[in-house]
Amino acid sequence: MATTPANMLSGGQGAGSELAVEKREQAMLELADFDEVVRVYRPRILRFLLSSLTDRDAAESLTQECFMKAWSARHQFRGDSSLSTWLTRIAVNLMRDHLRSRSLRFWQKTRGSSLDVMDISDWVPDGRGTPESLAVARDRVAAVWEAVKSLSAQQRTVFVLRFVEELELDEIATTIGMNLSTVKSHLYRALAIIRERMGGTK
Amino acid sequence: MKFRNDDDNTVNDTREEVREIAEALSLYRSAMQHIAEREAARPFVVGRRAERSHRFGLLLAPALAAAVAAAVLVPVYGHFGHHDGAGAVPTVKIAQQNGNDTHAAVDDTALMNQIDSEVSEDVPDALRPLADLSDQTTTTSVVSEKTNATQE
Repeated sequence: MATTPANMLSGGQGAGSELAVEKREQAMLELADFDEVVRVYRPRILRFLLSSLTDRDAAESLTQECFMKAWSARHQFRGDSSLSTWLTRIAVNLMRDHLRSRSLRFWQKTRGSSLDVMDISDWVPDGRGTPESLAVARDRVAAVWEAVKSLSAQQRTVFVLRFVEELELDEIATTIGMNLSTVKSHLYRALAIIRERMGGTK
Repeated sequence: MKFRNDDDNTVNDTREEVREIAEALSLYRSAMQHIAEREAARPFVVGRRAERSHRFGLLLAPALAAAVAAAVLVPVYGHFGHHDGAGAVPTVKIAQQNGNDTHAAVDDTALMNQIDSEVSEDVPDALRPLADLSDQTTTTSVVSEKTNATQE
Protein backbone atom coordinates (compact mmCIF):
# COMPACT_ATOMS: atom_id res chain seq x y z
CA MET A 1 0.00 0.00 0.00
CA ALA A 2 1.47 3.28 -1.13
CA THR A 3 2.04 5.94 1.46
CA THR A 4 0.12 9.05 0.46
CA PRO A 5 0.08 12.45 2.13
CA ALA A 6 -3.48 11.75 3.15
CA ASN A 7 -2.42 8.52 4.90
CA MET A 8 0.41 10.33 6.59
CA LEU A 9 -1.91 13.07 7.78
CA SER A 10 -4.44 10.58 9.13
CA GLY A 11 -1.79 8.50 10.81
CA GLY A 12 -2.91 9.63 14.27
CA GLN A 13 -6.56 8.95 13.43
CA GLY A 14 -5.63 5.48 12.19
CA ALA A 15 -3.99 4.67 15.50
CA GLY A 16 -7.04 6.01 17.28
CA SER A 17 -9.40 3.94 15.18
CA GLU A 18 -7.24 0.87 15.77
CA LEU A 19 -7.51 1.48 19.48
CA ALA A 20 -11.26 1.90 19.13
CA VAL A 21 -11.51 -1.36 17.19
CA GLU A 22 -9.43 -3.08 19.84
CA LYS A 23 -11.66 -1.77 22.62
CA ARG A 24 -14.74 -2.78 20.68
CA GLU A 25 -13.42 -6.31 20.18
CA GLN A 26 -12.60 -6.49 23.86
CA ALA A 27 -16.12 -5.38 24.77
CA MET A 28 -17.60 -7.95 22.39
CA LEU A 29 -15.46 -10.67 23.91
CA GLU A 30 -16.51 -9.55 27.36
CA LEU A 31 -20.16 -9.69 26.34
CA ALA A 32 -19.76 -13.23 25.00
CA ASP A 33 -19.50 -14.58 28.54
CA PHE A 34 -22.73 -13.18 29.83
CA ASP A 35 -22.60 -14.93 33.20
CA GLU A 36 -19.39 -13.12 33.88
CA VAL A 37 -20.94 -9.83 32.72
CA VAL A 38 -23.77 -10.30 35.23
CA ARG A 39 -21.36 -11.21 37.99
CA VAL A 40 -19.13 -8.20 37.39
CA TYR A 41 -21.68 -5.50 36.60
CA ARG A 42 -24.71 -6.49 38.64
CA PRO A 43 -23.51 -4.88 41.91
CA ARG A 44 -22.81 -1.64 40.11
CA ILE A 45 -26.17 -1.51 38.30
CA LEU A 46 -27.99 -2.44 41.51
CA ARG A 47 -26.13 0.25 43.42
CA PHE A 48 -26.99 2.89 40.84
CA LEU A 49 -30.68 1.91 40.81
CA LEU A 50 -30.85 1.60 44.57
CA SER A 51 -29.27 5.03 45.05
CA SER A 52 -31.55 6.58 42.46
CA LEU A 53 -34.85 4.94 43.41
CA THR A 54 -34.25 4.27 47.13
CA ASP A 55 -36.49 1.23 46.74
CA ARG A 56 -35.01 -2.24 47.19
CA ASP A 57 -37.67 -4.15 45.27
CA ALA A 58 -37.74 -1.73 42.35
CA ALA A 59 -33.94 -1.69 42.19
CA GLU A 60 -33.72 -5.50 42.20
CA SER A 61 -36.50 -5.87 39.68
CA LEU A 62 -35.03 -3.28 37.30
CA THR A 63 -31.55 -4.79 37.67
CA GLN A 64 -32.90 -8.14 36.54
CA GLU A 65 -34.76 -6.48 33.71
CA CYS A 66 -31.65 -4.58 32.71
CA PHE A 67 -29.65 -7.77 32.24
CA MET A 68 -32.52 -9.48 30.49
CA LYS A 69 -32.72 -6.59 28.04
CA ALA A 70 -28.97 -6.61 27.61
CA TRP A 71 -29.07 -10.35 26.90
CA SER A 72 -31.80 -10.02 24.31
CA ALA A 73 -30.12 -6.98 22.69
CA ARG A 74 -26.55 -8.25 22.92
CA HIS A 75 -26.36 -8.64 19.14
CA GLN A 76 -27.13 -4.94 18.74
CA PHE A 77 -24.21 -3.91 20.95
CA ARG A 78 -21.65 -2.41 18.58
CA GLY A 79 -19.02 -1.66 21.16
CA ASP A 80 -19.08 2.09 20.50
CA SER A 81 -19.23 2.66 24.24
CA SER A 82 -17.92 0.55 27.08
CA LEU A 83 -20.04 -2.33 28.33
CA SER A 84 -20.49 -0.52 31.62
CA THR A 85 -21.82 2.60 29.89
CA TRP A 86 -24.15 0.50 27.73
CA LEU A 87 -25.58 -1.35 30.72
CA THR A 88 -25.97 1.86 32.71
CA ARG A 89 -27.78 3.45 29.78
CA ILE A 90 -30.23 0.53 29.71
CA ALA A 91 -30.71 0.94 33.47
CA VAL A 92 -31.32 4.69 33.11
CA ASN A 93 -33.97 4.07 30.42
CA LEU A 94 -35.66 1.42 32.55
CA MET A 95 -35.63 3.77 35.51
CA ARG A 96 -37.25 6.54 33.45
CA ASP A 97 -40.01 4.16 32.37
CA HIS A 98 -40.43 3.01 35.95
CA LEU A 99 -40.71 6.56 37.29
CA ARG A 100 -43.16 7.46 34.55
CA SER A 101 -45.38 4.49 35.34
CA ARG A 102 -45.05 5.16 39.07
CA SER A 103 -46.22 8.72 38.58
CA LEU A 104 -49.29 7.32 36.84
CA ARG A 105 -49.87 5.00 39.81
CA PHE A 106 -50.01 7.96 42.16
CA TRP A 107 -52.23 6.17 44.66
CA GLN A 108 -49.42 3.77 45.55
CA LYS A 109 -47.92 5.88 48.28
CA THR A 110 -46.73 3.19 50.63
CA ARG A 111 -43.61 1.34 49.68
CA GLY A 112 -42.64 -1.26 52.20
CA SER A 113 -39.34 -1.93 50.52
CA SER A 114 -38.08 1.64 50.39
CA LEU A 115 -34.75 2.38 52.00
CA ASP A 116 -35.02 4.26 55.22
CA VAL A 117 -32.74 7.04 56.36
CA MET A 118 -31.84 4.81 59.31
CA ASP A 119 -30.54 2.18 56.88
CA ILE A 120 -28.13 4.75 55.55
CA SER A 121 -27.13 6.69 58.62
CA ASP A 122 -26.69 3.55 60.71
CA TRP A 123 -23.96 2.54 58.38
CA VAL A 124 -21.18 4.89 59.34
CA PRO A 125 -17.86 3.36 60.31
CA ASP A 126 -17.32 3.23 64.04
CA GLY A 127 -13.65 4.09 63.65
CA ARG A 128 -14.39 7.66 64.63
CA GLY A 129 -12.90 9.13 67.72
CA THR A 130 -15.82 10.01 69.92
CA PRO A 131 -19.51 9.21 70.02
CA GLU A 132 -20.17 12.87 69.27
CA SER A 133 -18.19 12.79 66.04
CA LEU A 134 -19.98 9.55 65.07
CA ALA A 135 -23.35 11.20 65.69
CA VAL A 136 -22.31 14.24 63.64
CA ALA A 137 -21.22 11.98 60.78
CA ARG A 138 -24.53 10.12 60.88
CA ASP A 139 -26.43 13.41 60.84
CA ARG A 140 -24.48 14.53 57.80
CA VAL A 141 -25.15 11.32 55.89
CA ALA A 142 -28.82 11.56 56.79
CA ALA A 143 -28.88 15.16 55.58
CA VAL A 144 -27.32 14.17 52.25
CA TRP A 145 -29.79 11.33 51.95
CA GLU A 146 -32.78 13.61 52.52
CA ALA A 147 -31.37 16.22 50.16
CA VAL A 148 -30.82 13.63 47.40
CA LYS A 149 -34.40 12.46 47.79
CA SER A 150 -35.61 16.01 47.22
CA LEU A 151 -33.75 16.34 43.89
CA SER A 152 -35.53 16.05 40.58
CA ALA A 153 -35.12 12.77 38.71
CA GLN A 154 -32.53 14.16 36.31
CA GLN A 155 -30.58 15.95 39.01
CA ARG A 156 -30.56 12.78 41.11
CA THR A 157 -29.41 10.63 38.20
CA VAL A 158 -26.53 12.98 37.43
CA PHE A 159 -25.64 13.30 41.11
CA VAL A 160 -25.63 9.53 41.70
CA LEU A 161 -23.58 8.84 38.58
CA ARG A 162 -21.04 11.44 39.67
CA PHE A 163 -20.79 10.97 43.42
CA VAL A 164 -21.76 7.32 43.92
CA GLU A 165 -20.62 5.74 40.67
CA GLU A 166 -17.76 8.25 40.31
CA LEU A 167 -18.15 8.65 36.55
CA GLU A 168 -16.52 11.50 34.67
CA LEU A 169 -18.82 14.21 33.38
CA ASP A 170 -18.41 13.22 29.74
CA GLU A 171 -19.19 9.60 30.64
CA ILE A 172 -22.35 10.79 32.37
CA ALA A 173 -23.29 12.81 29.28
CA THR A 174 -22.81 9.74 27.08
CA THR A 175 -24.69 7.46 29.44
CA ILE A 176 -27.82 9.55 29.84
CA GLY A 177 -27.71 11.16 26.40
CA MET A 178 -27.34 14.76 27.51
CA ASN A 179 -25.06 17.60 26.51
CA LEU A 180 -22.06 18.09 28.74
CA SER A 181 -23.29 21.58 29.63
CA THR A 182 -26.70 20.20 30.66
CA VAL A 183 -25.01 17.62 32.84
CA LYS A 184 -22.94 20.35 34.49
CA SER A 185 -26.05 22.43 35.02
CA HIS A 186 -27.93 19.57 36.71
CA LEU A 187 -24.93 18.75 38.87
CA TYR A 188 -24.48 22.40 39.88
CA ARG A 189 -28.13 22.69 40.92
CA ALA A 190 -28.04 19.38 42.76
CA LEU A 191 -24.97 20.43 44.72
CA ALA A 192 -26.52 23.79 45.50
CA ILE A 193 -29.57 22.07 46.99
CA ILE A 194 -27.43 19.65 48.98
CA ARG A 195 -25.20 22.43 50.21
CA GLU A 196 -28.23 24.41 51.29
CA ARG A 197 -29.62 21.42 53.17
CA MET A 198 -26.27 20.69 54.72
CA GLY A 199 -25.97 24.32 55.81
CA GLY A 200 -29.31 23.96 57.52
CA THR A 201 -28.04 21.07 59.58
CA LYS A 202 -24.93 22.79 60.78
CA MET B 1 -5.54 44.68 57.89
CA LYS B 2 -8.94 44.19 59.46
CA PHE B 3 -10.49 43.60 56.02
CA ARG B 4 -7.82 41.05 55.26
CA ASN B 5 -8.74 39.13 58.43
CA ASP B 6 -12.45 39.16 57.50
CA ASP B 7 -11.65 37.80 54.04
CA ASP B 8 -9.45 35.10 55.52
CA ASN B 9 -12.23 34.08 57.88
CA THR B 10 -14.73 33.89 55.02
CA VAL B 11 -12.37 31.78 52.96
CA ASN B 12 -11.70 29.52 55.91
CA ASP B 13 -15.44 29.12 56.56
CA THR B 14 -16.04 28.25 52.92
CA ARG B 15 -13.20 25.76 52.96
CA GLU B 16 -14.54 24.22 56.12
CA GLU B 17 -18.03 23.97 54.61
CA VAL B 18 -16.69 22.40 51.41
CA ARG B 19 -14.64 19.95 53.44
CA GLU B 20 -17.68 18.96 55.48
CA ILE B 21 -19.79 18.48 52.35
CA ALA B 22 -17.04 16.47 50.70
CA GLU B 23 -16.77 14.28 53.78
CA ALA B 24 -20.55 13.84 53.95
CA LEU B 25 -20.64 12.88 50.27
CA SER B 26 -17.85 10.40 50.83
CA LEU B 27 -19.74 8.84 53.75
CA TYR B 28 -22.90 8.76 51.70
CA ARG B 29 -21.06 6.96 48.88
CA SER B 30 -19.62 4.43 51.32
CA ALA B 31 -23.05 3.84 52.85
CA MET B 32 -24.67 3.31 49.45
CA GLN B 33 -21.92 0.94 48.39
CA HIS B 34 -22.28 -1.02 51.59
CA ILE B 35 -26.06 -1.28 51.25
CA ALA B 36 -25.82 -2.23 47.57
CA GLU B 37 -23.33 -4.98 48.42
CA ARG B 38 -25.66 -6.29 51.10
CA GLU B 39 -28.60 -6.24 48.68
CA ALA B 40 -26.54 -7.84 45.91
CA ALA B 41 -25.71 -10.75 48.22
CA ARG B 42 -29.39 -11.66 48.37
CA PRO B 43 -30.93 -14.18 45.93
CA PHE B 44 -31.12 -12.79 42.45
CA VAL B 45 -33.92 -14.69 40.77
CA VAL B 46 -36.88 -14.30 43.06
CA GLY B 47 -37.35 -10.82 44.44
CA ARG B 48 -39.62 -9.86 47.23
CA ARG B 49 -41.73 -7.93 44.77
CA ALA B 50 -42.38 -11.16 42.90
CA GLU B 51 -43.25 -12.87 46.18
CA ARG B 52 -45.55 -10.07 47.15
CA SER B 53 -47.21 -9.95 43.75
CA HIS B 54 -47.57 -13.72 43.98
CA ARG B 55 -49.23 -13.36 47.37
CA PHE B 56 -51.39 -10.61 45.95
CA GLY B 57 -52.24 -12.90 43.07
CA LEU B 58 -53.13 -15.75 45.40
CA LEU B 59 -55.57 -13.56 47.26
CA LEU B 60 -57.08 -11.57 44.48
CA ALA B 61 -56.78 -13.87 41.48
CA PRO B 62 -59.70 -16.15 42.43
CA ALA B 63 -61.95 -13.20 43.16
CA LEU B 64 -60.88 -11.51 39.95
CA ALA B 65 -61.38 -14.72 37.96
CA ALA B 66 -64.85 -15.18 39.46
CA ALA B 67 -65.77 -11.61 38.62
CA VAL B 68 -64.51 -11.97 35.06
CA ALA B 69 -66.28 -15.30 34.67
CA ALA B 70 -69.49 -13.80 35.98
CA ALA B 71 -69.09 -10.80 33.71
CA VAL B 72 -68.62 -13.08 30.70
CA LEU B 73 -70.99 -15.91 31.52
CA VAL B 74 -73.99 -13.90 32.64
CA PRO B 75 -74.40 -12.06 29.34
CA VAL B 76 -73.62 -15.24 27.37
CA TYR B 77 -76.11 -17.22 29.40
CA GLY B 78 -78.57 -14.40 29.06
CA HIS B 79 -77.90 -14.28 25.35
CA PHE B 80 -78.47 -18.01 24.85
CA GLY B 81 -81.27 -18.01 27.35
CA HIS B 82 -82.83 -15.19 25.46
CA HIS B 83 -82.28 -17.05 22.20
CA ASP B 84 -83.72 -20.25 23.65
CA GLY B 85 -86.66 -18.32 25.00
CA ALA B 86 -87.01 -16.54 21.73
CA GLY B 87 -86.86 -19.89 19.95
CA ALA B 88 -89.34 -21.38 22.33
CA VAL B 89 -91.77 -18.54 22.18
CA PRO B 90 -92.23 -18.60 18.41
CA THR B 91 -92.60 -22.37 18.56
CA VAL B 92 -95.27 -21.97 21.11
CA LYS B 93 -96.69 -19.13 19.15
CA ILE B 94 -96.56 -21.18 15.98
CA ALA B 95 -98.09 -24.06 17.83
CA GLN B 96 -100.64 -21.71 19.24
CA GLN B 97 -101.16 -20.22 15.84
CA ASN B 98 -101.52 -23.69 14.36
CA GLY B 99 -103.86 -24.57 17.15
CA ASN B 100 -105.74 -21.39 16.61
CA ASP B 101 -105.85 -22.00 12.91
CA THR B 102 -107.20 -25.52 13.46
CA HIS B 103 -109.54 -24.20 16.02
CA ALA B 104 -110.44 -21.36 13.70
CA ALA B 105 -110.92 -23.76 10.81
CA VAL B 106 -113.24 -25.85 12.93
CA ASP B 107 -115.03 -22.78 14.10
CA ASP B 108 -115.31 -21.47 10.59
CA THR B 109 -116.73 -24.74 9.36
CA ALA B 110 -119.15 -24.87 12.21
CA LEU B 111 -120.03 -21.28 11.64
CA MET B 112 -120.56 -21.85 7.93
CA ASN B 113 -122.68 -24.89 8.63
CA GLN B 114 -124.55 -22.92 11.21
CA ILE B 115 -125.11 -20.08 8.79
CA ASP B 116 -126.14 -22.44 6.01
CA SER B 117 -128.51 -24.22 8.24
CA GLU B 118 -129.91 -21.02 9.61
CA VAL B 119 -130.22 -19.35 6.22
CA SER B 120 -131.73 -22.39 4.63
CA GLU B 121 -134.08 -22.78 7.53
CA ASP B 122 -137.67 -22.17 6.84
CA VAL B 123 -138.92 -18.77 7.62
CA PRO B 124 -140.62 -18.75 10.97
CA ASP B 125 -144.36 -18.87 10.99
CA ALA B 126 -144.69 -15.49 12.48
CA LEU B 127 -143.01 -13.98 9.45
CA ARG B 128 -144.82 -16.12 6.90
CA PRO B 129 -147.21 -13.39 5.74
CA LEU B 130 -144.33 -11.16 4.97
CA ALA B 131 -142.65 -13.97 3.21
CA ASP B 132 -145.75 -14.51 1.12
CA LEU B 133 -145.97 -10.85 0.46
CA SER B 134 -142.43 -10.71 -0.62
CA ASP B 135 -143.07 -13.74 -2.83
CA GLN B 136 -145.99 -12.06 -4.39
CA THR B 137 -144.11 -8.84 -4.88
CA THR B 138 -141.38 -10.69 -6.47
CA THR B 139 -143.71 -12.63 -8.69
CA THR B 140 -145.59 -9.49 -9.63
CA SER B 141 -142.50 -7.62 -10.44
CA VAL B 142 -141.22 -10.49 -12.53
CA VAL B 143 -144.50 -10.77 -14.38
CA SER B 144 -144.66 -7.03 -14.99
CA GLU B 145 -141.16 -7.06 -16.29
CA LYS B 146 -141.99 -9.90 -18.63
CA THR B 147 -145.07 -8.04 -19.81
CA ASN B 148 -143.10 -4.90 -20.48
CA ALA B 149 -140.61 -6.86 -22.36
CA THR B 150 -143.26 -8.48 -24.51
CA GLN B 151 -144.89 -5.18 -25.26
CA GLU B 152 -141.66 -3.71 -26.28
